[in-house]
Amino acid sequence: MAMTQMEKEPAQELNANTSYDVYEIFVQASDLDPHVHVGSLLAPSPEWALQLARENFLRRAQAVSVWAVRRGDVHGTPDDPDWFAREFDRKYRDVSGYADNARRWKRFKAQAMHIDDVIADVRKE
Amino acid sequence: MVARDSGMLDRGRILGDLALQLGDEELFLGHRDSEWLGLAPEIEEDVAFASMAQDEVRHAAFWYELAETAGMGQADALAFDRPATDRRHAALCARPNGDWAHTVLRHYLYDAWDAVRLMALAEAGEETVAQGARRMLREEHYHHLHMEKWVVDLGRAGGEAGQRLLKAFQALLPDLPHLAAFAVDPQALVDLGILARPLPDLRREFVARISPTLAKAGLPVHPVEAALAAQPEDRARSVAPLADAEELLSTMNGVRSLGAAAW
Amino acid sequence: MPDARMEEFMARIERGDKIEAHDWMPEDYRLLLLRLIHMHAVSEIMGAYPEKEWVPKAPTLRRKMSLAAKVQDEIGHGQLLLRVAEDLAAPLGRHRVDLMDDVITGRVKFHNVFHMEAPTWADAGIIGWLVDGAAIITQTALLDCSYAPYARVLKRICAEESFHMQHGESIILSLAEGEPWQREMLQEALNRWWEAILFFFGPPVVTDAARRMMEYRIRSRTNEELRQKFLTRYVPRIRAVGLEIPDSALRYDDEAGLWRYTEPDWERLSRMVRDNTGPKSQERISLRRRAHQDQAWVREALLRARAAAAV
Repeated sequence: MAMTQMEKEPAQELNANTSYDVYEIFVQASDLDPHVHVGSLLAPSPEWALQLARENFLRRAQAVSVWAVRRGDVHGTPDDPDWFAREFDRKYRDVSGYADNARRWKRFKAQAMHIDDVIADVRKE
Repeated sequence: MVARDSGMLDRGRILGDLALQLGDEELFLGHRDSEWLGLAPEIEEDVAFASMAQDEVRHAAFWYELAETAGMGQADALAFDRPATDRRHAALCARPNGDWAHTVLRHYLYDAWDAVRLMALAEAGEETVAQGARRMLREEHYHHLHMEKWVVDLGRAGGEAGQRLLKAFQALLPDLPHLAAFAVDPQALVDLGILARPLPDLRREFVARISPTLAKAGLPVHPVEAALAAQPEDRARSVAPLADAEELLSTMNGVRSLGAAAW
Repeated sequence: MPDARMEEFMARIERGDKIEAHDWMPEDYRLLLLRLIHMHAVSEIMGAYPEKEWVPKAPTLRRKMSLAAKVQDEIGHGQLLLRVAEDLAAPLGRHRVDLMDDVITGRVKFHNVFHMEAPTWADAGIIGWLVDGAAIITQTALLDCSYAPYARVLKRICAEESFHMQHGESIILSLAEGEPWQREMLQEALNRWWEAILFFFGPPVVTDAARRMMEYRIRSRTNEELRQKFLTRYVPRIRAVGLEIPDSALRYDDEAGLWRYTEPDWERLSRMVRDNTGPKSQERISLRRRAHQDQAWVREALLRARAAAAV
């Protein structure tokens, strides 16, 4: 299965030593957030990409970490929409597949339990 | 200025004067930086550099607000309305912009001195000043890394960039003794517990701080040491040459001078 | 061009699919988008100049910082848009340096408003309030663009424009609340800018390019629809602060549900954009030359430093 490389243009490969590179920038807003892609910039080196990313993408937002990845090092899924095909439901692995539990618990005079309640309870002093 | 041996050191007055000095320096440099808007060598750098210009003006506002608290007048009035003869900035901060090499080297040298000075203010006992200094030091860290990278890379590139950097170095050198000094008596700052260390110590820290960077950029450090030694500036330094500040202030007051009004 | 590909592409567009940079697209789609986004990017950058003149003269510390931040955002928007344009231009063998050179050679145009003079502080206020207001309306109308990289960047730009709206309003409110001579200054600035702002949305005729852009769902509203939205939104506010709009023919036609206004001088203003003959066109282009071409040595230096570090 062919992967698409984000940078396909041979012209840019040839220019590798005579022009800036495209860096994709990923920002992590807080320790509990994943790095999220926010855009790209041109820079002569990874160090410069990070230097420039701070004010080009974080003039207002707070962050704890920034990644700069040279575009040629990013590999993407192919354009083919079938790559993501999902025709049959997966209710057996979703909460929505167990909606009848609440009714069944009622028979035993007990309530259905939700993960949010458990989390809130464990966090409570 | 307050005489060192008067025995009647007016703490409030000295603090106010120091705040005005720091405010004038940050404002003038921030003003010069902001003249680069739309003119930096690459779009991404334009954006990054503009943030530093704003940070400098924000730091100036902090110092003017401190002077306002000390009863010296309203912050905007202190920033805009004092004539060139009353300004307390280092000459280097008001110099007209040169090329990009001059801009980044000036900024690097100013930031390096500013960091040394802020550390000595942060470590001393004057709490409002120390607190502000600590916050500024954190923000200045990025400026320092950014400017240091510029200076080193222009130096390493050699060729035209190297020549321009060297020319900028020679142009900035005579202004360094005036920069590494205070508009108030530095010993009085130490005696009053506002500054943690005397000026000669700060100058040594300054040289130690810039030496590795200058070396990486291929610039000599001994002319800096020689220039500083020739002008100890151990008392309150003289007012900077008026022409640069006058030109800067007449631009800065282009709107305000139209008449008394709220803006 | 294989017709099957074209048909499939149009089917995607009509389904409301979004197109990505690496997707196949008809040459016509690429070129229309590139022309639009290149001009948009360059207009953001050239748009920094009229306001930038007022940063060193801003009358308070807060105004000095906020105007600098606003101009910086415009350049930042230029950066985001340039990146989108660069990815469209790369398969044509054109890169950042070429797209910037185009400003200097006049190969790319920028919006009429940025060819104009901004002689007073009130002009900076009017630009922030009304020119930005007009730009926000045209940009919001592109948020559903079929080209996803453009739509994503516009989303970010619009979020920042919300600060620009407040910033522009704050400046003009101070002038409107101020001394009689400040209000006069504001009125004079409005008089200078009104025609240019109406022109900004473009002529009412739907050009062939505009029609194709609508077919490709690059844009969905005509110039006139957007101008009408601007008038509905801004005319009452302009009047509310006591300003007089310099057009005696301006009125709302209840029957037609449309604003009637004196048409801007389409011919004269179009020529200004096409030939760069506005009062400030050449001066601002030369600022860009100074930034871009005269400082090529800086960009070269960083590449040399990179090469030196690699050894």
